[in-house]
Amino acid sequence: MSSGTIKKDSGFGVAQLILLISIAVLVIFVAWPVILILFNAFFVNGEFNSLDFYRVLTDSETFKALTNSVLIASMTTIGSTIVGTFFAWLVTRTDLPYKTFMKSLFLVPFMLPSFIGALAWKMLLSPYSGYINRFFMDTFGLTEPVFNIYSYVGISAVEVMYLFPFVFIQVCGALERMDPTLEESARISGAGLLTITRKITIPLVLPSIMSGALLIMLYSMAHFGTVAVLGIEQGIYNIPTLIYEKIHQSAGSFESIRTGTVLSTVLIVSAAIIIWGQQKILSRGHYQIIGGKSFRPMELKLRGLRYPLLIFCLAYIGFTIVLPTIVIFLVGGVATYGLPLTWENLSLNNYKYVLFEYEVTKDAIFNSVTLGLAAALITMFAGVMISYVIVKMKVRGKGILEFLGMLPFSVPGSVIALGVILAWSGQFGINIYNTIWIILVSYIARYMAFSLKANSAALEQVHDSLMEASRSCGATMWQSLKDIVVPLVRPGMISAFFLIFLPALRELTVSIMLYAPTTRTIGVAIYTLNEDGETVMSTALAGVALVIIVVGQSLINHFTKKAGE
Amino acid sequence: MSKKTSLWALLLVLLVTMLMAGCGGGGGEKKEAAKEPAKTEAKADAKGGDSKKLIVYTSMKESLIKGIVEGFKAKNPGIDVDYQSAGAGKLMAKIAAERQSGKILADIIWTSEVPDFYKMKSEGILEVYKSPVLSEIVNPFPDYDGSFHAARLGTLGIIVNTDKIKELPTQWSDLLKPEYKNGFGVADPALSGTAYMSIALLEKQFGWEFFEKIKANGGRIGKGSGQVIDDTASGELCSSLAVDYITNDKIKKGAHIKMSYPPELLVVPSPVAIFKGTAKLDAAKKFVDYLLGKEAQAKIALEGTIPVREDVEIPKEFQLPAPKAALEKSIKINYLEVVDSKEAIVKKFSEIMQTKK
Repeated sequence: MSSGTIKKDSGFGVAQLILLISIAVLVIFVAWPVILILFNAFFVNGEFNSLDFYRVLTDSETFKALTNSVLIASMTTIGSTIVGTFFAWLVTRTDLPYKTFMKSLFLVPFMLPSFIGALAWKMLLSPYSGYINRFFMDTFGLTEPVFNIYSYVGISAVEVMYLFPFVFIQVCGALERMDPTLEESARISGAGLLTITRKITIPLVLPSIMSGALLIMLYSMAHFGTVAVLGIEQGIYNIPTLIYEKIHQSAGSFESIRTGTVLSTVLIVSAAIIIWGQQKILSRGHYQIIGGKSFRPMELKLRGLRYPLLIFCLAYIGFTIVLPTIVIFLVGGVATYGLPLTWENLSLNNYKYVLFEYEVTKDAIFNSVTLGLAAALITMFAGVMISYVIVKMKVRGKGILEFLGMLPFSVPGSVIALGVILAWSGQFGINIYNTIWIILVSYIARYMAFSLKANSAALEQVHDSLMEASRSCGATMWQSLKDIVVPLVRPGMISAFFLIFLPALRELTVSIMLYAPTTRTIGVAIYTLNEDGETVMSTALAGVALVIIVVGQSLINHFTKKAGE
Repeated sequence: MSKKTSLWALLLVLLVTMLMAGCGGGGGEKKEAAKEPAKTEAKADAKGGDSKKLIVYTSMKESLIKGIVEGFKAKNPGIDVDYQSAGAGKLMAKIAAERQSGKILADIIWTSEVPDFYKMKSEGILEVYKSPVLSEIVNPFPDYDGSFHAARLGTLGIIVNTDKIKELPTQWSDLLKPEYKNGFGVADPALSGTAYMSIALLEKQFGWEFFEKIKANGGRIGKGSGQVIDDTASGELCSSLAVDYITNDKIKKGAHIKMSYPPELLVVPSPVAIFKGTAKLDAAKKFVDYLLGKEAQAKIALEGTIPVREDVEIPKEFQLPAPKAALEKSIKINYLEVVDSKEAIVKKFSEIMQTKK
């Protein structure tokens, strides 16, 4: 690789330098921690030992966590797929009133961090004290609660509420892009609506549905927040929560780290399979749906159902988004958890305390904002560089980079956290454990995928001829990069920045494993307050976080809309 | 044009948020430095070590520790103090991880898990310091050698949700009555030091059958020691085993709960200790002296828990005995005995109580 030659007469050395830096970035931030995890999972005292791997895996506690993860992820995936596909169909292929508005409304769940949602649902549906359960028990004189949120079904339901947009977006896209002439010709040939749906529509959108479903599967298997808030108390663990408990309770002893690495290996492997499956499905299905957009797709007349269905959609949003948000803000206002939500019990004292007196809040907001900014900036630049090499450059050794570039997509957050602990806590000469830097390093690894995706999409649209023209007019490589490529991909870079900044702002899965007294993030501050039994304080802080997120998101929407015009 | 304006607006908002969040400093430096973390490692380490502040790890809740730290700062303006409040189990895990990476971040530890202190003492990581105020305090440890001092005598009692249970319990055996069905909670002993100690004490007094009967009556494991109280206040549990001052703080805020102490009193001393090798030994000693002094102990009493000084009065409303009387009434235990049995006790307890759904 070091002796690689450049096929095109691009600036000598520069191309290789960029390639080398790109490889180095991915290796240091992503590959190295993953390799350490795999190594520790399979090697005991420096010797290969797959028997021990098997032993840890079949240990009753680990095995239970494993099956829980699969069970919860499966239920979440099925639920989200049904919900997401149904709503996507409603807003694209029917004459539902206010369709465009409804479409944007269905994207709102993305904004609400799911662990805050879980907190809210705990207050609404915990068996004996949840407001909804209490309402039903009081009104109808029931002695048993209506619904117990501390259960597999409860956890999956909450995850569905905040994850279904993954499917929704994919399916909406597919339905909108679909060539309506296919359906029309079927109709002209005499097929009924059912036949058309069964034989034309469903096969065409199935790849998108599957790909969205797999994304959810991947996300849910490695998801910490909801299970931590709703499951731990009842002894329901999934892989990330078990890793967290192990690391936190047995004090980083080798045994617990090893259990963590074995569980992580399972996550990595399943993620790899899922990603592989997703790409296979997408590559098979893509060519079919891209077609003319000149016709409006056939719309199903809902007739009498138009308004009932609109009300159903609004009720769904109200139930899953508005209600939990209101509960968060109200509970954040009472003096102590358990008081009835009446006017005389509500005050702004908790908010005042959380904002102006509680030291941790200041630290947390500062940490989350700076971490988000730093991670977004670094990852944005690294991402554009790496995608440039992958998409545009013709240089030997690129294959390695393409492979490495796939890694960030398939490494879940909790795995990254464990990996950086192994890599950066002194065993290899560098010890940044317990500092803000270790969180930054893991954020870079975690969000690299976002940046690579946004940047390579932008770069693919820049035609090679532009660069070639510039080069043939005598510009140097740097000049043409600076004057041609960078201006053209700027929208991609900016969207990468925001795609990273906002999720990083509310991150929990990674930072919960890595925080120290002064390096709590907003997510960690909310979670630990809740865990320490300061329920109202944690909800008040969650309310503050929601405000920050919503303000940030609307500014970004506003800004990106302007930029797109 | 408008694109630029909104970009500026965005940056402005970010800037304001950062400023609001208090300038911990180093925001700018972070960005460039972070690009190659390898090079900035030394800097980062120095930052992590943070040599300016005295750091206290404690399992005392915000309501108790905050006032004490503020009082200490007011008396010692030159010393800056930071604290982390979390369950004892978590803190010990953190300390163990920090020891592995070479440096304990904390200078002082103050939790309620007495066996941990015996363990740390035997491992030789505690600084021996015989505080001059020792003669003034009530010392629950017969083998006191200056490695750690009791700074509070925590008590645990039964709390009930007053909407659900009208009659306060007077005996431990009241918990087996039908009105406590499906609703007595004990904090997870793996997370909470006080919960662990109380389980050890109750087991010593009544044996494991007591917990088996409680389980048969629908008893449950909760999360942390604060959470079971919130769950009781909200009605999720009808009753729980609760720590005195956390309960009293919530009662003050209007929670519908009441506390009762059965005659076999659960007293769990909360020891404070200084870590060996701290760079701020003088400041740490001052903190221990302050904590055992009259001012801090009065604050402790005002929060509704038992101080270690007889010359401090506990407000009547809390119905707590004076320190010496409390120790006499309490269930006695040999702390050395429970040092090694923690894992076994936690496991046994979880086996009995774990609810599977």
